[in-house]
Amino acid sequence: MKKLFMLLLLFSFASQAQENTVLTNKKNEFRVDVLSAIVDTKASLSYERFFDGSFSTGINVNFSNSNKLNDDFDNGYRNNVPKFEFNPYVRYALSKSKSRYYFAEVFGSYNGGDFKEIIRVEGMAQPDYYTTKKSKYTDIGLGGSLGYKMYFNNSIALEFIAGFGSNLTNRDKSPDVISRVGLNLGYRF
Amino acid sequence: MKKIKYIALLIVAFLVSNCDTNDDGFYNNVFIDVPNLVSIESLSSTYTVGQKLYVNADFSRILNDGALIDIFQTTGATQFVFSYVIEKKINDTEWEVVTVNDSQLDIVKGNAQNGAYVFGICDYNTVDETYEYRVGFPLLSTGIYRMSFGYNSDSANSVELRSVSPATRLILNINSVVTGLNSGGYYNFTVN
Repeated sequence: MKKLFMLLLLFSFASQAQENTVLTNKKNEFRVDVLSAIVDTKASLSYERFFDGSFSTGINVNFSNSNKLNDDFDNGYRNNVPKFEFNPYVRYALSKSKSRYYFAEVFGSYNGGDFKEIIRVEGMAQPDYYTTKKSKYTDIGLGGSLGYKMYFNNSIALEFIAGFGSNLTNRDKSPDVISRVGLNLGYRF
Repeated sequence: MKKIKYIALLIVAFLVSNCDTNDDGFYNNVFIDVPNLVSIESLSSTYTVGQKLYVNADFSRILNDGALIDIFQTTGATQFVFSYVIEKKINDTEWEVVTVNDSQLDIVKGNAQNGAYVFGICDYNTVDETYEYRVGFPLLSTGIYRMSFGYNSDSANSVELRSVSPATRLILNINSVVTGLNSGGYYNFTVN
């Protein structure tokens, strides 16, 4: 019994080592966020480049045109509506296994969208009036995320990620908080 | 243990996805101050049973809040609403809200609904481009009464009129001082 247990353990280590080796040799990965696509009508694509150790880096690009956000914006329930985000990130794997692991990341964000403010139109021959004026905003932010990633067949990736950050330079117009939440499906090669 | 980690991750994901700060709120509101848009008709300290207490509002689409402002162009609203409460003294320290059926209100202009307070609706008259309200509240029994306009506003001595704007248009809130109220924001009168 003891021998059988040792044999299974050895087989498990050997199998994981083989998986790790295969994955270590694959340095690139593309992902698409299926959660954002379904829930937020947001196209969210990511690229990740893996290094030899526990670090990796990449960029996440989002384009959004959510009807709900647009309606809330038009009806006054929000004064901005994000349209795009470019989020470069650096990740650190928190687990030894290359096939299933937790990770932490730091990300930057260059983001932008539409902003609306109320102005009083005055100084004309007719009486003043209030109206809304739409404009564009851009901002840069910084944040952090935690996530879990697993691989199937050493190439298909499934990733949960949750994180948030803060815009830094234009918060009068941009959202204070930028979130990075997703359920990504990817391919590593 | 692993399951707990997955669940925790999903919970955090859900919470963070609902995170918002300056996105919360309502951004289509505009506030201005214009005095005396609403008035109590025939101010008097005494009335008799059977009389009606009339409240009037008759204001143009062009108001002056320091400069002329077109409130119809701002809001596109064909109605402005406000509220007031009529109470009767029931003992030395307590007052109770006086309610009547809507059918007992004398609605001359605009519209009104009576419940815990009178909900007054000023209708836009497209001919003379004014918002109009004139409604009489029946005084049905003797006693000491008071009327106030602060039910739906933070101010004691003024009434807040709010535009009923079409969707996506601005909502205008007009804070308007009412003549005849004491320092506590009440119009006191007796019905004999």
